[in-house]
Amino acid sequence: MNALARRAAGLLLGTLCLPLAAFAADVQPTHEFILDNGLKVVVREDHRAPVVVSQIWYKVGSSYETPGQTGLSHALEHMMFKGSAKLGPGEASRILRDLGAEENAFTSDDYTAYYQVLARDRLPVAFELEADRLASLRLPADEFSREIEVIKEERRLRTDDQPNAKAFELFRAMAYPASGYHTPTIGWMADLERMKVEELRHWYESWYAPNNATLVVVGDVKPDEVKALAQKYFGPIPKRAVPPSKLPLELAEPGLRQLTLHLRTQLPSLVYGFNVPALATAKDPRGVNALRLISALLDGGYSARMPARLERGQELVAGASSSYNAFTRGDSLFMISATPNVQKHKTLAEVEKGIWQLLDELKTTPPTAEELERVRAQVIAGLVYDRDSISSQATTIGQLETVGLSWKLIDSELDDLKRVTPEDIQAAARTYFTRERLSVAHVLPEESAHE
Amino acid sequence: MSDRSAPRYTLFGLAIIVLVVAVAALLARPAQSDSQGKADTAARPANTLQSLAELDGKAPSRRQLNIQHWSTAEGARVLFVEARELPMFDLRVTFAAGSSQDGGTPGLATLTNAMLNEGVAGKDVTAIAEGFEGLGADFGNGSYRDMAVASLRSLSASDKREPALKLFTEVVGQPTFPEDALKRIKNQLLAGFEYEKQNPGKIAGKTLFANLYGKHPYASPSDGNAETIPGITLEQLRGFHAKAYSAGNAVIALVGDLSRSEAEAIAAQVSAGLPKGPALAKPEQPVEPKTGATHIDFPSKQTHLMLAELGIDRNDPDWPALSLGNQILGGGAFGTRLMSEVREKRGLTYGVYSVFSPMQVRGPFMINLQTRAELSEGTLKLVRDILADYLKSGPTQQELDDAKRELAGSFPLSNASNASIVGQLGAIGFYNLPLSWLEDFMQQSQALTVEQVKAAMNKHLAADKLVIVTVGPKVAQQPLPAPTDKPAEQPLGVPEH
Repeated sequence: MNALARRAAGLLLGTLCLPLAAFAADVQPTHEFILDNGLKVVVREDHRAPVVVSQIWYKVGSSYETPGQTGLSHALEHMMFKGSAKLGPGEASRILRDLGAEENAFTSDDYTAYYQVLARDRLPVAFELEADRLASLRLPADEFSREIEVIKEERRLRTDDQPNAKAFELFRAMAYPASGYHTPTIGWMADLERMKVEELRHWYESWYAPNNATLVVVGDVKPDEVKALAQKYFGPIPKRAVPPSKLPLELAEPGLRQLTLHLRTQLPSLVYGFNVPALATAKDPRGVNALRLISALLDGGYSARMPARLERGQELVAGASSSYNAFTRGDSLFMISATPNVQKHKTLAEVEKGIWQLLDELKTTPPTAEELERVRAQVIAGLVYDRDSISSQATTIGQLETVGLSWKLIDSELDDLKRVTPEDIQAAARTYFTRERLSVAHVLPEESAHE
Repeated sequence: MSDRSAPRYTLFGLAIIVLVVAVAALLARPAQSDSQGKADTAARPANTLQSLAELDGKAPSRRQLNIQHWSTAEGARVLFVEARELPMFDLRVTFAAGSSQDGGTPGLATLTNAMLNEGVAGKDVTAIAEGFEGLGADFGNGSYRDMAVASLRSLSASDKREPALKLFTEVVGQPTFPEDALKRIKNQLLAGFEYEKQNPGKIAGKTLFANLYGKHPYASPSDGNAETIPGITLEQLRGFHAKAYSAGNAVIALVGDLSRSEAEAIAAQVSAGLPKGPALAKPEQPVEPKTGATHIDFPSKQTHLMLAELGIDRNDPDWPALSLGNQILGGGAFGTRLMSEVREKRGLTYGVYSVFSPMQVRGPFMINLQTRAELSEGTLKLVRDILADYLKSGPTQQELDDAKRELAGSFPLSNASNASIVGQLGAIGFYNLPLSWLEDFMQQSQALTVEQVKAAMNKHLAADKLVIVTVGPKVAQQPLPAPTDKPAEQPLGVPEH
């Protein structure tokens, strides 16, 4: 079992360094400044190798979209590679390729981000290209007519032909009744079919402003040189008013919702999601940090409760996992998914019973000190391991800033989690693991439809 | 440099797949313009990009690696790079213990590898997991066609490092293979096979390897199959472990916050804990496959297309030429002939890639893509034509120059993290490459001519020798849309070399 994958799915955000005396390594200096046009810049020095990552994060994603216009943020991300004032379609990618850079982009419900990883002397090129498409995207209609076909292929590949992805898309649409989080990031196919390049232009003009972005640079650089470069290339882009954006808030207790899907799959599976707050929406962060610890207790390693009891002890499941993202712009979901152990003839009903036993135990019995100590050891080590990758350091900073939190949360990570008491964990379990907050999906093979 | 010959098995992560989607990071494969030389289309003034004009044209500097090498008393080869910046280290032990050593029992190698951390003397699987996780250490394992790997990442402070290494040494060297764990893991593997039946890409990949390799051990998936897994016994696992997890069959790679003497002590400890024995012989070279196309009917929206031939082994002297030649054809994320023609000009696919996977013996050359079912036949013909044209005419001088620049520019990225360095050390050791291999590869690549690349591609590939697998629905076919007729814009010159 890949422990890193478990860590990513469970407790930790991909966290960074801490100024803790316990670590032998020097702390990597981190600096922030804001240009006059409102562009926030965060620079973290990492001088191990002469390379640098540059990421620009825009505060726009699928949770900002309205019905009928789903998929706009992601489609705009594709079109950002299709030319700007200084560059023809695809030319920026070609230039970066010839420089040996890695580049790409990603869109989520809370953000759209673009990045380049390259030898340190090439950073000015990354800035100039990125600034040019922030200031002057071309959006040619003929390029769009081909690119939307590519996006539809992407949707077929990643969602329509993937039963679990399809199920998850429908699950989210049910589990988020009030907020924009019900919208799939790639967009519904019907909306892709009728998307117009004019809508993309409007989306671009609304949200792509320097004052709605965060530039994150991690690597073998000094803050003064980054500041000068940022000023030179991004500084002349004027500040612009952006539409008001409201946090995606959910109903606290929407009631039990159930979905049964018959899909082209051989194995049944189960998805649970409880409507819960995130750090940005919680009144008290202790409940949120308690939920993060609960996710670690359930699935933070191969010794955690779900693999130890459901997968091995009771042999109820072939696989199971929990996840909770506390670092979203709006209210979040505490998720559990599982596939029954069909070789042992286990049913979804038995798996549900096993899951509820774990959840109810959290309400009544405090975790042992030993268990909590194990989680803490993983957090401490993870803070060091995450520093091995400049990209994961930059992504953590960018994500925190973009959802309305501060990258400085990284510094208090360990203390915040240590502050959670066993009583907090029991209280959070009692508050949040209720049927009124729960959405359930049963994903069944198509044959079952005839039974 | 990838040392993986096949995807890691995912049996334990069945349910996680749903959650991975929650991240919803949808990568755009970036666009790019036609890469074929059309020198007269640069209709804009040169040096539009100030930053590009200001680059001094030198190849970038890179982290210098001092790779140290020795062998343990028991014959394990060790490669070590000292990296003191972070208080952690990575240990990666690679054995020639992949499925090509299964000896006619597909799945034996994978089961043995997956059972390593299920029990040692006095500890069951949960106690082992608690041991590593209580120290903050990450244990990892995986089994592929050529190699099996066990890895450890730990803090370097001795109160963490020493107990983590003691446990790792027991897990890799003296596993007890408990019977109940074997039953459970077999069930998980069987569930994994069921799960793969919903995935047209998996079905295509399995069929392709079966058709390409015939009776050769590379033909079987490294996880085995539903027929072979149930019958595998504990005695077979113990026998395989004693033979394939021996010190003589191991390469130990170490990177991190360690002195040479600490690294020597770690390597000696791990090596002494392993069974005694020699390196295993490589599998035989595969024989040429029967060419032709196979279609598998599947009710998906897209058709998956895979095209392959036998490629090369890792020690083939043509590897730099083929690597560079493939980079131009379809090896990068963007800017390749395949990506340009199939995605950019026609919008037919989300991604199309070609790859040489050099292995212990001849690994595959593969082209892989998906497209909407009603255009699959036209798309397949287009891809075949692109390959045939490329073999016939070879790369242009401009394409070759660009590819060399790209390679030189990306070199500093290849050893920026401890994780990437330990992977490279593992591959250098496993394939018996010289310690200067990375530098040699760069120099040889930079010296290549158009004629040499073209000759190497034609020596190893032929347009009419393809093994083809398609998986998708049978639907009435439509003609391809016309490509964009606009001349591609020539990128600004990159002043380098």
